Amino acid sequence: MLFQTTKKQEDLRKKVREFAESEVKPIAFLLDKENEFPSEAIAKFADMGMMGLPYPKEYGGAGADVLSYAIAVEELSRVDGGTGVILSAHVSLGSYPIFAFGNEEQKQKYLTPLAKGEKLGAFGLTEPNAGSDAGGTETTAVLEGDHYILNGGKIFITNAPVADTYVVFASTNPDAGTHGISAFIVEKGWEGFTFGDHYDKMGIRSSSTAELIFNNVKVPKENLLGKEGQGFKIAMATLDGGRIGIAAQALGIAQGAYEHALEYAKERIQFGKPIAQQQAISFKLADMATKLRCARFLVYSAAELKEAHEPYGMESAMAKQYTSDICLEVVNDALQIFGGSGYLKGMEVERAYRDAKICTIYEGTNEIQRVVIASHIIGKMKKDGKAKRKKTSITGERKKMIFRDGTPKEQVAKLVEALKKDGYDFSVGIAMDTPIVDAERVISAGKGIGAKENMKLIEEAAKALGAAIGSSRPVAETLKYVPLNRYVGMSGQKFSGNLYVACGISGAGQHLKGIKDATTIVAINNNPNAPIFKNADYGIVGDLMEILPLLAEALDTGVKQPAPPMKKMKRPFIKKEGPSYKRYICSGCGYEYDMEIGDPASDVPAGTTFDKLPEEWICPECGEEKENFIEIE
Amino acid sequence: MYCVRKVVDDLYWVGGNDHRLALFENIHPIPRGVSYNSYLLLDEKTVLFDTVDWSICRQFLENVEHVLDGRDLDYLVINHMEPDHGASIEEILLRYPNVTIISTEKSIMLMHQFGFDVDDKTMTVKEGDSFRFGKHNIVFVEAPMVHWPEAMVSFDTTDGILFSADAFGSFGALDGKLFNDEVNFDRDWIDDARRYYTNIVGKYGPHVQALLKKASTLDIHYICPLHGPVWRNDFGYLLDKYDKWSRYEPETCGVMIAYASMYGNTESAVQVLAAKLAEKGMTNIALYDVSNTHVSYLISETFKYSHIVLASVTYNLGIYPVMHDYLMHMKALNLQKRTVGIIENGSWAPKSGSLMKEFLDEEMKQMSILNSEVNMISALNDNNANEVDNLVESILDSMKEA
Repeated sequence: MLFQTTKKQEDLRKKVREFAESEVKPIAFLLDKENEFPSEAIAKFADMGMMGLPYPKEYGGAGADVLSYAIAVEELSRVDGGTGVILSAHVSLGSYPIFAFGNEEQKQKYLTPLAKGEKLGAFGLTEPNAGSDAGGTETTAVLEGDHYILNGGKIFITNAPVADTYVVFASTNPDAGTHGISAFIVEKGWEGFTFGDHYDKMGIRSSSTAELIFNNVKVPKENLLGKEGQGFKIAMATLDGGRIGIAAQALGIAQGAYEHALEYAKERIQFGKPIAQQQAISFKLADMATKLRCARFLVYSAAELKEAHEPYGMESAMAKQYTSDICLEVVNDALQIFGGSGYLKGMEVERAYRDAKICTIYEGTNEIQRVVIASHIIGKMKKDGKAKRKKTSITGERKKMIFRDGTPKEQVAKLVEALKKDGYDFSVGIAMDTPIVDAERVISAGKGIGAKENMKLIEEAAKALGAAIGSSRPVAETLKYVPLNRYVGMSGQKFSGNLYVACGISGAGQHLKGIKDATTIVAINNNPNAPIFKNADYGIVGDLMEILPLLAEALDTGVKQPAPPMKKMKRPFIKKEGPSYKRYICSGCGYEYDMEIGDPASDVPAGTTFDKLPEEWICPECGEEKENFIEIE
Repeated sequence: MYCVRKVVDDLYWVGGNDHRLALFENIHPIPRGVSYNSYLLLDEKTVLFDTVDWSICRQFLENVEHVLDGRDLDYLVINHMEPDHGASIEEILLRYPNVTIISTEKSIMLMHQFGFDVDDKTMTVKEGDSFRFGKHNIVFVEAPMVHWPEAMVSFDTTDGILFSADAFGSFGALDGKLFNDEVNFDRDWIDDARRYYTNIVGKYGPHVQALLKKASTLDIHYICPLHGPVWRNDFGYLLDKYDKWSRYEPETCGVMIAYASMYGNTESAVQVLAAKLAEKGMTNIALYDVSNTHVSYLISETFKYSHIVLASVTYNLGIYPVMHDYLMHMKALNLQKRTVGIIENGSWAPKSGSLMKEFLDEEMKQMSILNSEVNMISALNDNNANEVDNLVESILDSMKEA
């Protein structure tokens, strides 16, 4: 056992390094600065047959081993971390689930163009309320005839919106938690599938990252990957392998920074000799090299285990966690060695310093990697007997009354009527520039407002409502339509007054957390599936350009009287509803089977529906057979 | 001396009443006593439906002997094997050794567990089996978990008589009157019937619903339960109550206020609440001190009213123990779908309100808590009196919405 790569692997490294040095390195600074995706370079890389390295030749791949693929990601990242993750997300996340879980038709149709590099792949799992805990997935897929109807959204999706093929996870049985998640292949361009924000990231700025929005997207039944309910398993298996890619990316970023630091340390002379010969710096370099060697063995070993079909889940988690942790240390030391010069834009170590951080976060935070590792060495922790009840929406129980009937004018009239019935007096008002925290009423603009001149509509509506003006974060931060101190959200101003009117705000989690104490939330948005509607008391689905003037007209009572001191109004009373799933009771003892709890004594996990209980399952209390349970009506 | 009554031709009530028992099941007070009903059918064969509690066994044996009038007893149908009905089986076996016991498999198993030597004397029946005793044909219908697993009901298809076991029963001794139309049920009996159902059968609503569904297919003329009056008319009244109770739907739109007070301050607050409710027109109020009201009454009233206000002092950083006990009973009996107002009291670290809310949210089903809460520190005063107004308003608002 010599722990060495093969000649073939090293040949590949040489080839990728040459490509990276000649095609990526010259533009890396620009890509970073402009937040630009290296489309041309990726096309050339595809021509070299590199986009499907570990997949069989019959599906358009290169038939290389997993380690070769890891080396390719490492070498790209050595020059540019963003470019490295494009390859990693494409191969490990976008293509792998189709390769491992797709049927022959799906592989022919989707894997082949991905492996050939004709198409780019991406993977959509993360949601606002489902990060490390995929059980919170809220995107839904409902089977209607020969297709599924997909609704919801995904955030932080690497390669979107550039990618053509997306493996998307959605719940086909919302009550079953992770057991209700299914995987689908979704193509860009399908009706109702759009992209939200392109994120303005700290690092890996040459990679593209965006939000996916699904609004009644028709997904043909044959695009279900595996079976219904297997999505969580597919996601976890995919992430096991994806970790090798991210580990390789971190390794490459650290390697690049280390090389730059070593070179610089040999050149930079202080106190009459190169700083590399000063012990303080030489020890740093020695530590960096040691960490890199250690990390490299972890990464390569995990890749070899995967290639050999040995268990590798724990080893890939160790590789990802360790390599990304030491990557941060190495880029930090590298920048330190560069001193003030390293702190300047345009310096590779400055970019590496920013690129590195994401590696401890995505594809499973390093905390989650430790959960994975611990579960392998300690065994799975016994679940608490009682599963948590399903969370209500972020803003708490809300009426969720959407006015759909009639013309927009009639809808607005109904909204105004409901607000007046709740006790809102629109003959009084507050100044539009009242600080958000002190405001009794606020009307906020989101990105749905469009061009800046449309803010006039918000102002007119604010006057009519007697409300102060607020906004979502992008409207203040990116579009700069309002001062920064007027955006509402967890990171901005919190609104705890009575009436909040959200216009063209989709309802990101951080925004919703900033308005959860509002007495009444009104949503106006053209996307009926925007999360804001699930968090609002009243809503109108429609175009702001049309609704806002109608609202202003309906509420216009001339000059508003100054409002009396704010009196916090009561939150509406919402009657609790029963669970949406069926519950069953034993006719031998009255024991109730609740799928939210499962039956821990018989290793039936929470989320198992009654009909999915094994036939031989018996009542845990009295031993009665499953068939002697009755359904609660 | 025998004491029997004729139900219809060929069928006699041969049970008895007990006024000396203080606590039914050794837990529920029965100031009006209780009856243990048994019925004897005289056909080509003689058939006894269930026996009685040990306490009135002698009376029962005299009754049976009198009605049989020298005939032997051929069959004993056991619909329910709980000892308040099954305890006298052994005496029947001793006196009528040729008798055959007809019951469910689980019931016969229970007879063995309770130590009755019934070997070779039993005939097992299951759902839908029928047996002709001469003129009368009896169909056996399983009624699991109403309120024991072995229970069944027997239906005489000849005369439309349902021997309903513990279903449709009530606390209260009959004291001569046997039929529902011989008493003023809605005035004198409904509270005990409710208290019986909710405390004894309350948990098993879904199984009662299942039984009601089965019963709806039968042409019933008489309902003969094991406790309380025999029903021979006005079935709609009784079935409506059972339907509501078993679906956990309230009978009436009103407010039950249950309070735990140590020195009268919490009591004073709920009096203010009640007065303000009445002032606003909501007079359907029932107010109970949990410390001196037996929990079986509290449970019964909780099933009856749509709105519950729980007012509790904090005790050892927890819910006042008696109030907690009441909550535990509610949970055990599967009570659900009520709208609840909370009044919290505490003098240095008030906890009872948040703990009661947590209990309602986590341990019970569809208990909707009103947003307006009254938080008292020791006593109601000018600072929090408006919270009572808000609670009153919330209660009335939620009634409008319902």
